Amino acid sequence: MGSSTALKELQRDLEVQANVLSKLQKEISKNHQVRKQYTIQLGENELVLKELDLLKEDANVYKLIGPVLVKQDLAEANANVRKRIEYISAELKRLDGSLQDLEDQQNSKKSAVMKIQQKIQTLQAGKAKS
Amino acid sequence: MAMRASEMEKLNVEQLKALKEQSEMEVNVLQDSLSKIKTAVTRLDIASNALLDLSLRPQGKKMLVPLTASLYVSGTLEDADRVLVDVGTGYFIEKTTAEGKDYCDRKISLLKSNYDELMEVASKRKITGDEAGAILQAKLRQSTATT
Repeated sequence: MGSSTALKELQRDLEVQANVLSKLQKEISKNHQVRKQYTIQLGENELVLKELDLLKEDANVYKLIGPVLVKQDLAEANANVRKRIEYISAELKRLDGSLQDLEDQQNSKKSAVMKIQQKIQTLQAGKAKS
Repeated sequence: MAMRASEMEKLNVEQLKALKEQSEMEVNVLQDSLSKIKTAVTRLDIASNALLDLSLRPQGKKMLVPLTASLYVSGTLEDADRVLVDVGTGYFIEKTTAEGKDYCDRKISLLKSNYDELMEVASKRKITGDEAGAILQAKLRQSTATT
């Protein structure tokens, strides 16, 4: 009965690894979502910056804070948008890094799961023969 | 990801299926973006027309201002030459009507060029997906014929 306990152990192992794998996949899709949002924001901010750059020195710029429009200095607005772009770019880079990391982990887990499945198959084939 | 038909011939059935599904998914996403761009263009068109309309009215003109879709209050047109443009992320810029119109037109042309670019990508993806589907069908037929 040695092979049957080994089989059970392998199946348990497979379940554990598959769980880890699905968790990783969930994290990857979350990463994708967050990244998408940041990319949209980055595009919007870049468009705003382009508009601000086109303005004359004495143009009136307002910022919507809650329900009120507050008049803002052009230079200040410009600096704000630039800072935001910087922050979002840095955040995107960080997300890229962690995505790479997660994908590497996913690939190694995938091959681990495949190996276990193969082991189970050979065990079952051996049992069927005997 | 663009793949030639000759390369697709070498793929097995599973890979072809995956490729076809992937292409179809991408086409769907692109189509979604295309329709979003279209609505944005329409909105800018409306804004541009409203500006044009506004510039034609004399100062002090009586008008009805909509508070809701069915409630209006009377008002007079104080200053038709200066408008506030929402440029996104909470920033508003004061512009003259002409500048505002120019802004709308610039945005529209930017969106149109984006639209054309996306259209091209989408049609390429669609072709890839269709080719993968055709080769997949051929392979499936072949495998049923031999068995």
